[in-house]
Amino acid sequence: MALSSMRGLSVFISDVRNCPNKEQERLRVDKELGNIRTRFKNEKGLTPYEKKKYVWKMLYIYMLGYDVDFGHMEAVSLISAPKYPEKQVGYIVTSCLLNENHDFLRLAINTVRNDIIGRNETFQCLALTMVGNIGGREFAESLAADVQKLLISSSYRPLVRKKAALCLLRLYRKNPDVVNIDGWADRMAQLLDERDLGVLTSSMSLLVALVSNNHEAYWSCLPKCVRVLERLARNQDIPQEYTYYGIPSPWLQVKTMRALQYFPTIEDPNTRRSLFEVLQRILMGTDVVKNVNKNNAAHAVLFEALALVMHLDAEKEMMSQCVALLGKFISVREPNIRYLGLENMTRMLMVAEVQDIIKRHQAQIITSLKDPDISIRRRALDLLYGMCDVSNAKDIVEELLQYLSTADFAMREELSLKAAILAEKFAPDLSWYVDVILQLIDKAGDFVSDDIWFRVVQFVTNNEDLQPYAAAKAREYLDKPAIHETMVKVSSYLLGEFSHLLARRPGSSPKEIFNIIHEKLPTVSTSTIPILLSTYAKILMHTQPPDPELQNQIWAIFNKYESCIDAEIQQRAVEYFALSRKGAALMDILAEMPKFPERQSALIKKAEDAEIDTAEQSAIKLRAQQQTSNALVVTDQCYANGPSPIVPAVGPLTLVKVPSMSGSEEHTAVDQALTQSNGTLTKVDSQPPSDLLGDLLGPLAIEGPPGAAVQSEHSAVTEVEGAPSAVDVAAIVPVGEQTNSVQPIGNINERFNALCLKDSGVLYEDPYIQIGIKAEWQAQHGRLVLFLGNKNTSPLDSVQALILPPAHLKMELSLVPEIIPPRAQVQCPLEVLNLHPSRDVAVLDFSYKFGTNMVNVKLRLPAVLNKFLQPMPVSAEEFFPQWRSLSGPPLKLQEVVRGVRPLPLEEMANLFNSFRLMICPGLDPNPNNLVASATFYSESTRAMLCLIRIETDPADRTQLRMTVASGDPALTFELKEFIKEQLVSIPTAPRGPTTAPPAPPVVQPTSPAMALTDPGAMLAGLL
Amino acid sequence: MIKAVMVINTQGKPRLAKFYDFLTVDKQQELIRSVFGVLCSRAENVSNFMEADSIFGPDSRLVYKHYATLYFVFVFDTCENELAVLDLIQVFVETLDKCFRNVCELDIVFNYSKLHTILDEIVFGGQVLETSSAEIMKAVEEISKLEASSNSITLVPKTVSGWRNR
Repeated sequence: MALSSMRGLSVFISDVRNCPNKEQERLRVDKELGNIRTRFKNEKGLTPYEKKKYVWKMLYIYMLGYDVDFGHMEAVSLISAPKYPEKQVGYIVTSCLLNENHDFLRLAINTVRNDIIGRNETFQCLALTMVGNIGGREFAESLAADVQKLLISSSYRPLVRKKAALCLLRLYRKNPDVVNIDGWADRMAQLLDERDLGVLTSSMSLLVALVSNNHEAYWSCLPKCVRVLERLARNQDIPQEYTYYGIPSPWLQVKTMRALQYFPTIEDPNTRRSLFEVLQRILMGTDVVKNVNKNNAAHAVLFEALALVMHLDAEKEMMSQCVALLGKFISVREPNIRYLGLENMTRMLMVAEVQDIIKRHQAQIITSLKDPDISIRRRALDLLYGMCDVSNAKDIVEELLQYLSTADFAMREELSLKAAILAEKFAPDLSWYVDVILQLIDKAGDFVSDDIWFRVVQFVTNNEDLQPYAAAKAREYLDKPAIHETMVKVSSYLLGEFSHLLARRPGSSPKEIFNIIHEKLPTVSTSTIPILLSTYAKILMHTQPPDPELQNQIWAIFNKYESCIDAEIQQRAVEYFALSRKGAALMDILAEMPKFPERQSALIKKAEDAEIDTAEQSAIKLRAQQQTSNALVVTDQCYANGPSPIVPAVGPLTLVKVPSMSGSEEHTAVDQALTQSNGTLTKVDSQPPSDLLGDLLGPLAIEGPPGAAVQSEHSAVTEVEGAPSAVDVAAIVPVGEQTNSVQPIGNINERFNALCLKDSGVLYEDPYIQIGIKAEWQAQHGRLVLFLGNKNTSPLDSVQALILPPAHLKMELSLVPEIIPPRAQVQCPLEVLNLHPSRDVAVLDFSYKFGTNMVNVKLRLPAVLNKFLQPMPVSAEEFFPQWRSLSGPPLKLQEVVRGVRPLPLEEMANLFNSFRLMICPGLDPNPNNLVASATFYSESTRAMLCLIRIETDPADRTQLRMTVASGDPALTFELKEFIKEQLVSIPTAPRGPTTAPPAPPVVQPTSPAMALTDPGAMLAGLL
Repeated sequence: MIKAVMVINTQGKPRLAKFYDFLTVDKQQELIRSVFGVLCSRAENVSNFMEADSIFGPDSRLVYKHYATLYFVFVFDTCENELAVLDLIQVFVETLDKCFRNVCELDIVFNYSKLHTILDEIVFGGQVLETSSAEIMKAVEEISKLEASSNSITLVPKTVSGWRNR
């Protein structure tokens, strides 16, 4: 490209630089653009040199931030010029100014293609660079095949081939279909034998992109990657120019290790051993040296090696070694290493075994919170947040609080949110939790969202032991000279509810409390005034015997606000005023708030959602997602210092201080009516109609859900008084609506279907428990581990897990403990043996008790037919004799399947591959047909080859003909039915009569027996 | 993938801006400004990494290196190794140094087309093409020879090797 200086360009740049202000610069640029425009109009007079000069001027102007909206056509047309300089200019300007959707690009596709398939290597480079920089679907479709040819042909120079590799990568990103997986996997493996390190580096980048989408197809590349790594680590055959500060191509080392992280595991013991040797050498042989650049390069390799070790689930010893290294790094002088040390330690937290070792570095990490570099401070905060659990929560949260007063504003919001979440998740006792949140509001009120103080109110309301303490604390804060408005809100709410518990303490008489709260009224905004009014009404109610002076004072305030312009304030003032004259009735209506049903904290939920949102396809994240206990903390110690935040296990009515019902008879009647109807309705609402069948089959429940009772009571009261906001503490009820029963989180069916395709993930989740699963399959044996995680701060008891195995599976579940401690996770191994082929599914009957809620779920276990398959590539020589020898039923079955979910052929091929039925391309001459093969394992059949042929009709994708063959009649039949189920559009395909487990699994939240016997209610449910 | 490469001087003027996903001019300028805004507030002797999530979206990383009056900035996603990108900046600068002999900001201003050429031999469509500065020099020299030979009116008879012998 333009390497010789161009005088015109230099003059122009000088001119622009000499402009004293932006205005002048604009004038100069406009003048130049005008000049170029006119010159382009009579293009014939331009020499290649001039064209080049103008184009570079355009680019310079573009970089300065001016839109260059002409000359695009001229630029594109230059691509087809025969001579190098013009062509070069055309390509450069096109790739800088146009985006992939620009119409003009279509005009150029043919020329670009000619340059790529032509024999001129310089033209090839130009064309590849442009295509690679722009990308574009259309380019992808028309050029990918040619680019692939350039890459694999050894007759081209490395300069061309390495560009072709990256160009292909870019096209693949635009349209993954351009790389035919089956054909390409072998080629990719060959490319990794390349000697030239430039081509190898580019090929490795390509491999990373390919394996990140589908690692299964590229297994053959795995040992090659290890070999590349060995070659680099041992410095064998590495040319001098690829040695960077004495280190053999650090970049390639890093990329190779990145590629290896996309393979879930390394099975071959030899490959694994060689890889670990290399890794060990990297881990041990890297020291902090003086030369900054050498240091960076060496540590780039080292950190990638750490990530790989973590990914491979190395021995505990090696992991501890890694943590020790990281511990060293977080205290070195070099800030980059400190930064990455902290970051990698955060990732290391995913490895459960080393969490304790990481905790030993807590003091150093806390020091990093005061690092001069904000990037490092942020990493330290992330790490502290991640490593926090019940054992160290107190220290960490108190550190964070202390840091909050000095932290820069950019970090305060994040800091306070994290402190609040940790305090809630790991509070050793609840009074500490209240302390933390109040301090948080005090120190950084602006950054404390409403969710946080709602949650405190919720905890205090639900825990009687905590109420006097919280009220006393709130009272203390009110003495401070200037407090944040959020503090006014929370303390006046708490004092309104609970100040009567402080009555005997000095300075806490109703009058004094009222006075100190009322002092704040002139300073607060309209959103806080309604809370203060409620507090006044409550104080009034609690003052027994009534204090006429106080009464008059408060009435005067209500009076004043009766004409307030804000509707909420006005309504409250009017209603409280009227109510406060009712005498005894006031007591009922303004009684203490009922307890809130236990639910997932809005905060923690938010934090989890955010984690899911940012999840993307990187090996480390995939791994994190597979770890089912993400939100939970693995702990075996039972914590119970403070009162449990959860309601004690007693009858639903004693849970709540219900307003006395002596007021009116009507009241009680309506109340009961509502309770009943509500009970029924709740039942119907909470279940999707499809689950009704399961409901019937499930065991009958005895108790009514307490949640429902609470709600009906509550609504009954409001109903009767006819003025919702009269009691309307509901206006300040923390967080959302009450839930009526235990609802599963996420769709159970979808979770099951997903688990049929992968080997780890979440099987079931509800607000109390999360059940994760991790499975390994080897021939006819399977080893599953169930992870039962308690999400709450109180134990789950009466835990029972029962396996209902179908006839063909032998299953053994290890002992499941009866109690799961708070926030703990229990792992239960489950051994599976496949006796003979069948599509029946095993069911896990799982139940537990939470408070008075008995929850029972029936979950299908993903020990399905395809798990016992092993993909098996066959060649034409093997396939055809086998296919012919299995002639006709019952060993070979054929069926025309209609109503198939229409899928493009490649997607269908992917579907088969994901079921471990390996697609063998090229065996069937007809491109519309698929041939697949696999080995099936069971005790009765042993290893048995299965062959499948699918003939599709390009004109009608909803039907196809399927032929399945194997050496066992039962296997042939079951496999055929299995594939049919997967292809047919209805997700839960009609099942054979042998199918044991009924219906989808169902959550059984102790619905009233009445609901089941009442056909009317059931009908209503169905409608 | 590398999302963007920028060279910005300490006054905030862009000297090179290359985005590997198409962005409008306004967006490009906005990003350059935001990056500079954060860069200029950073002290010396801190790490070379900067939070870029708020500027380039979640999971973005930013690595920069400060040389005399210039910031060299690379923005990329989680698929790249931070320190390796830092190495790459060093390779880029070392290559410039070989081309210009003690490269300074003025070299870059007036030979900015050359800067593009060199960068195109290092980063290709957001992926790293070459990490050996010797190989990069070879490719760049080849291009300049080609230009010289096919250009009938060679105004300035300086080739890369000419520079090196200067």
